Amino acid sequence: MDSFLPVQVSWTPQTAASGSDFYPYTNNAGTVAGISGGDFCVMAADTRQSFGVGYLINTRYQPKMFKLSNGSVLGTSGFYADGLTLIKRINQRLEWYKHAHDKEMSTPALAQLLSITLYSKRFFPYYARVLLGGLDLEGHGVVYGYDSIGSYEPCLARATGSGGSLIQPFLDNQIYRKTPLGILQAPHTLDQVKAVMRDSFTSATERDIQTGDYLELFIITAQGVDVEKYDLRKD
Amino acid sequence: MSGKNCVAIASDKRFGVKYLTISMEFPKMFQATDKTFIGISGLATDVQTLMERFRFKINMYRMNEERDFEPITLANMVSSTLYERRFSPYFVEPIVAGLDKNNNPYINGMDLIGCSTTACDFAATGTPEDQLYGTCEALWEPNLEPEELFETISQTIMSATNRDCVSGWGAVVHVITPERVITRTLKTRMD
Amino acid sequence: MNSILNEFKSTSALCEEELHDSLYDWDTANGFALPTFEFPAVHNLNRFMKDITSASAPCQIEIQHGTTTLAFKFKSGVIVAADSRASQGNYVSTSSVKKIIEINPFLLGTMAGGAADCTFWQRELGRQCRLYELRNKERISVAAASKLLANMIYRYKGMGLSMGTMVTGWDKTGPKIFYVDSDGTRVDGELFSVGSGSPFAYGIIDNGFDFDLDVPSAIDLGKRAIYHATHRDGASGGTVNLYHVKPDGWARIGRWDVEDLHWEFQDQPKPSPINSSVIG
Repeated sequence: MDSFLPVQVSWTPQTAASGSDFYPYTNNAGTVAGISGGDFCVMAADTRQSFGVGYLINTRYQPKMFKLSNGSVLGTSGFYADGLTLIKRINQRLEWYKHAHDKEMSTPALAQLLSITLYSKRFFPYYARVLLGGLDLEGHGVVYGYDSIGSYEPCLARATGSGGSLIQPFLDNQIYRKTPLGILQAPHTLDQVKAVMRDSFTSATERDIQTGDYLELFIITAQGVDVEKYDLRKD
Repeated sequence: MSGKNCVAIASDKRFGVKYLTISMEFPKMFQATDKTFIGISGLATDVQTLMERFRFKINMYRMNEERDFEPITLANMVSSTLYERRFSPYFVEPIVAGLDKNNNPYINGMDLIGCSTTACDFAATGTPEDQLYGTCEALWEPNLEPEELFETISQTIMSATNRDCVSGWGAVVHVITPERVITRTLKTRMD
Repeated sequence: MNSILNEFKSTSALCEEELHDSLYDWDTANGFALPTFEFPAVHNLNRFMKDITSASAPCQIEIQHGTTTLAFKFKSGVIVAADSRASQGNYVSTSSVKKIIEINPFLLGTMAGGAADCTFWQRELGRQCRLYELRNKERISVAAASKLLANMIYRYKGMGLSMGTMVTGWDKTGPKIFYVDSDGTRVDGELFSVGSGSPFAYGIIDNGFDFDLDVPSAIDLGKRAIYHATHRDGASGGTVNLYHVKPDGWARIGRWDVEDLHWEFQDQPKPSPINSSVIG
């Protein structure tokens, strides 16, 4: 019976280090956010890469958001090396899918693939907080938010990373209009959403030392992905 | 949060132990003088103890000096009271907000041993500090009128506490203007 | 010399094998195998998992946690209800989680503990149940399905999985609820509530439960139990999602924002704790 095969593990005890010495992560931090609209999706990330607890800046411009071959956009924050590895692995899978099925993988399918890819490292997780943005099969914008081990969910607006907790309540306020005091219509045009996104990042940059330098906006529409770059505070 | 000749201070009403909500009528602010409030977040027993100690000190000052505390003096009093316990601190983070004698806004946030920071815009403490600061930064602008300030601080505290498991369950806002103090209770999510 | 050479040979062979595994994990030809995982090269995996998820770690791996779920049997089937908050520490990471997992048209699973653990393994369970159907030309029983799940996760006992789940459904033997958790527990029962809000939910259910409840009253009871849990428990909140398991499969009954429920229930007269006829 297939289902009773022993679990395969790639355990290599001969190279083992003791538990407490082995700490394979560094926090390169940064913030990623995404807002989905009727026929578009806006993904945003700052470009600062910090080191360790956050008082050092490795570089002011290291993009942490990537356009994938199927037209979706994947943003990562946390440990940059893990994020990069994840991107490579996902891109490879997209390539195989294309050759096997002669079509691009849809964003919802990619969202599930990303989930199980993260979960395949359940016991040795990627320290990556990722956000996936794109268009679904009907052409509506979608943003998928994840935890480090692959729990995911589609959402209207989501922010993650070091400044995620600063931006998220503001997005709730502007996009979901959650608080009953609000009388304004939720922003829905591309320009409004872009403005909300830029406001969020300028605000997060004020208070989060690991967010800043430049803001990259990836605007995903049926026509493709446009990238816009803006300045953020550099201190 | 400061406005044009006005300041506002808000707190949620939850009192709980870890994830268990015990009371929903526990505002963390009290009126120190006609135009000054102290808000204290942190360990409930220390919050209550300090509120009583501050009340005592404020009344003593009023009797000795025959005048009320200026907000800046009050903040210094709060700060030194906390520093007295440098090595066994009260687990609290207070905020002093008020209008000074020229009706200029004064806001001061402190850590648990009294390191005070005067802010010209806003100060926030408590478990959803990140959420509060993020929302404040995005929503606040200078020279708000009292009603605008009320709207801004309400939106801020509601958005921020909705992203925190252990805050919320109602909120109270005081807007302090030269003429009067406007106090309102907000209807918020109860989960 | 040779022995050293051999050592290198075998190591490189191992690496290739590992590489092969990691590259072909997702090959459809391997589709019938159980999922595989990459492990860190440490002696003490448990300690490693604790280190990386601890709040004091420089890069804390924050895992989303789910919270109040309940399921109870009554004369017309099973009511399954859950809240929708996922938290990472005190931070509410989302308020719209689907904690009731649709394993297949006849089976429901619930999510408490690690969100990713529950969704992944119950999705895997759904696949196993489909394979069972194809092999045996009949639907799997709830008992067997829950045992598949329990056995699958038992292999990982002590390695940091965190899930408390109820597998519910209607099979040849009638409505069934099994509680399965990551410690390896699997118990058959009439009524369960799982998660940090469960004491509050139990209070409401035990107070209002009657096996002969009609369907609307049973739904109302489930809804109230979850609402009261979200009200008192900080780690529960968002919306109530509710399903009804019937002989012909489950039906999604609805979703209510607990904010609306709070004001709705608050306006209703509260039953007196003392029976008025006794006083009268």
